[in-house]
Amino acid sequence: MTPFQKRLFGAAVALTLAAAGAAHAQQLELKLMAPAAPGGGWDQTARSMQQALVAAKIARSVQVTNVPGAGGSVGIAQFVNGAKGDGNQMMVNGFVMVGALAMNKSPVTLEQVTPIARLTEEIQVIVVPANSPLKTAQDLAAAVKADIAKVTFAGGSAGGVDHVMAALFAGAVGADAKKINYIPFSGGGESLAAILGAKVSAGISGLSEYEGQIKSGKLRALGVTSEKRIAGVDIPTFKEQGIDLVLANWRSVVAAPGITPEQRKTLSDAVEKMVKSDAWKDILKQKGWEDAYLGGDAFADFLKKETTRVTDVLKSVGLVKS
Amino acid sequence: MIDTFAQLAHGMAVALQPLNLLYALIGVFLGTAVGVLPGIGPALTVALLLPVTYKLDPGGSLIMFAGIYYGGMYGGSTTAILINTPGESASMATALEGNKMAKAGRGGPALATAAIGSFVAGTIATIGLAFLAPWLVDFAVRFGPEDYFALMCVAFVTVSATFGDSPIRGLTSLFIGLTLGLIGIDKLTGQARLAFGIPELLDGVEVTTLAVGLFAVGEALYVASRRHHAEEKLEPVRGSLWMTREDWKRSWKPWLRGTMFGFPIGALPAGGAEIPTFLSYSTEKRLTKHPEEFGKGAIEGVAGPEAANNASAAGTLVPLLTLGLPTSATAAMMLAGFQQYGLNPGPLLFAERPDLVWGLIASLFIANVMLLVLNLPLVGLWVRLLAIPQPWLYAGILAFATMGTIAAKPSVVELSMLAGFGVMGFLMRRFDYPIAPVVVGLILGPIAESQLRRALQISLGDPLTLVQSPISATLLAIALIALVAPFVLKGLGRFKANED
Amino acid sequence: MTDRAPGDPSPRRVDRAGLVIAFALAVLAVVLVFDAFRLPPGAMYGVGPGAMPLVVAVGLGLLAIGNLIDALRGNMPPRESADPKPVLLILGGLALLIAIIGFGGGFILATSALFVATSAAFGRRALLIDAAIALVLSTLIFLAFDKLLTLSLPTGPLERLL
Repeated sequence: MTPFQKRLFGAAVALTLAAAGAAHAQQLELKLMAPAAPGGGWDQTARSMQQALVAAKIARSVQVTNVPGAGGSVGIAQFVNGAKGDGNQMMVNGFVMVGALAMNKSPVTLEQVTPIARLTEEIQVIVVPANSPLKTAQDLAAAVKADIAKVTFAGGSAGGVDHVMAALFAGAVGADAKKINYIPFSGGGESLAAILGAKVSAGISGLSEYEGQIKSGKLRALGVTSEKRIAGVDIPTFKEQGIDLVLANWRSVVAAPGITPEQRKTLSDAVEKMVKSDAWKDILKQKGWEDAYLGGDAFADFLKKETTRVTDVLKSVGLVKS
Repeated sequence: MIDTFAQLAHGMAVALQPLNLLYALIGVFLGTAVGVLPGIGPALTVALLLPVTYKLDPGGSLIMFAGIYYGGMYGGSTTAILINTPGESASMATALEGNKMAKAGRGGPALATAAIGSFVAGTIATIGLAFLAPWLVDFAVRFGPEDYFALMCVAFVTVSATFGDSPIRGLTSLFIGLTLGLIGIDKLTGQARLAFGIPELLDGVEVTTLAVGLFAVGEALYVASRRHHAEEKLEPVRGSLWMTREDWKRSWKPWLRGTMFGFPIGALPAGGAEIPTFLSYSTEKRLTKHPEEFGKGAIEGVAGPEAANNASAAGTLVPLLTLGLPTSATAAMMLAGFQQYGLNPGPLLFAERPDLVWGLIASLFIANVMLLVLNLPLVGLWVRLLAIPQPWLYAGILAFATMGTIAAKPSVVELSMLAGFGVMGFLMRRFDYPIAPVVVGLILGPIAESQLRRALQISLGDPLTLVQSPISATLLAIALIALVAPFVLKGLGRFKANED
Repeated sequence: MTDRAPGDPSPRRVDRAGLVIAFALAVLAVVLVFDAFRLPPGAMYGVGPGAMPLVVAVGLGLLAIGNLIDALRGNMPPRESADPKPVLLILGGLALLIAIIGFGGGFILATSALFVATSAAFGRRALLIDAAIALVLSTLIFLAFDKLLTLSLPTGPLERLL
């Protein structure tokens, strides 16, 4: 099962190219893997990078490939095995992949890839239906402490960022995270319907997804997970309500394992240049993404910390066996 | 109300500009070209072609977008009818009767009733969208997990329409489908079931891989195995290429009934397009005056499900435009279309940007018309594809069927599954097990399971929750009556016969 | 396989293929039960992930018995003889397609292999002509979908020349 002998040929070509034109970034011919189906967040990130890298003349060509499956577990396995040592390949990933790899007992881990940079992040929010008796995050905390089983949370897939956040919330208010009544729904639409119809007590999601509902008054936001208040958003953070819950759904880009420090630098520089380009800024604005660029070793550290944190949470809710 | 008309008229005026009509035509053409690939449904088609629309002004891009969307949807029906390869799960019901019609030389009427039915349903549903949306969405949001479970029960009862002669064989097929539906990560607990450590299996069996394998590959194998018997001669056109008076007479009621199923269920946040097509198929089978034709190519069995499919697509726009709820992959892509202009559909969209909402609705009308304009003249050409000599025809079908999978998920595991399902389809044909229930089981099983478990999780394990909601109680009663009634009626009939 | 002529007048005979099918269903049921018991009890509230597999397993078990009775009574619908050669030929084509994709041979070669194998299975003997047709067609398809519509199809040595 090695569908990637073809890459050997590709790698050889790429190496010659890289050797010939390492100094000229314009010569970069990148392959970018989105470990998800077309249309999703990672795919959009990959295609936006493609657009920006080419528009800003940082790379001559960027080819996006989609390898969907199991929260990125399939993609990363292919990437680690197939792109080893290839300095012209990168993969988009994010928060969800950390949990997915742990839950699926993936033999391949994020420690094997070469971190390049964090690109964007999205702040999370907890909402309740407009007619809910819960008015603040503290009300919700009290309800959770009173009878954790009766407080139902709706959100995305089991082990995803919403689920992790529900567990972190329970832990932060001093309840037993293991006992949270979290109900995963497929897709934001379905869980939003359950919240609007008051089938569940509260809902968890990325802020942008529910922003329209919050503005129109159909949903009430109890708190956001940012460190400080977000400009232009009139929702208190959990921190200022005395609940230590800071979290973001980040997306990043990584390179293949076993590349040389020079190759890593070339890619890091290219990404940094891209992040500063006008083309990228335009895309961020158009898609409503928050710039969260974090490069180099700082990102490597961040990735390690997030991996530990998420894995611990998933163990505490029993999704990953310790 | 008058305002609504004025807005719609304005939207139409924009959409009807010559350049915009051209965009609509290009969109429909591109959408059909990609949408005919089995395994690439309307959502993926739109996702793949979305970048093409970036270069246009907002109005033109929205129109081309609508065209791509309708083209992608109709492309799936074309392959379902002509080469028994449903391009997406919602056109499976179309393949059941449509392909039988095509083989009997009635591919023309089948394609025509699908196109016109889609048009009729799309038009009615779009009108429904314009006038009923606020009311309908209120109802849709009240549907909880227990109500969806009850709806699944109704759907399961109707599956028997696809069973053929023997209940045991039908149920065997259905349970094989249910088993396949168990494969992969359990949605509620994240535990892997029946994946045997293969990462590609964690996401479960793709409906289109199963359908293409069972229908297209299985059929190619079966026909090949019987070639030494009298060779099956395909006559592309027998009788009229166009729909006859009789065809019209038998089609219009199924179109309307299909719309009645498709639109409201499509508007439900977890309703989907498959259930209304199954419901429509089984209803038509029960109501038809030509029951002997079902399973051999009954036009009602194409007209109804196709209308239901199209109406449900318009239905998904109800929660999208009124609540900003993308309830299907396609709706999510529509959302992406809106976001190109920094707009988020939602409760405020109708109030803040009526021009765009009505522009989109008008575009859907126009795209629907274009679809008819583009496809009806092509019906003759499509049908003649069947005149290709058998070796090349089936070689082409297989190349095509695998290409959809290669483009959507180019993995050895996925292609092996396709081949495996092909063998399964061959064996099932050979030993006379019906094929459709397998696909139905794969689609309905996981939905029914997760909705039931969600309901029980919310009620903390109390099963009474299933009958406490008026909606679910009603639906469960309907399911029970539909299940028991045939037996009771049969029993009564026998009783009477004994009395005589 | 016990092939019977279509008009066989003595249908009340044990059907061996039917026995195999019944047995396969029973095995499937057992696999489901084993897999279900391997799962952790799982859900904190409501029903765990193992419940549905058990329900399906019970159903499969009952259907295995039903199919067994049908097979013993010879209640299977009549079937005509089948020629295994073309079936194997097509399956060989599919295997070739999977292998070529797996080893990076690209879309054009893979699809052409399947095309030629299938048309041979349907009785064509002009292999070279078919191969030429297949190569030209799949190249055109590749160009149309990969270049024009930006659908990413797997590339191999041939595609890189384009």
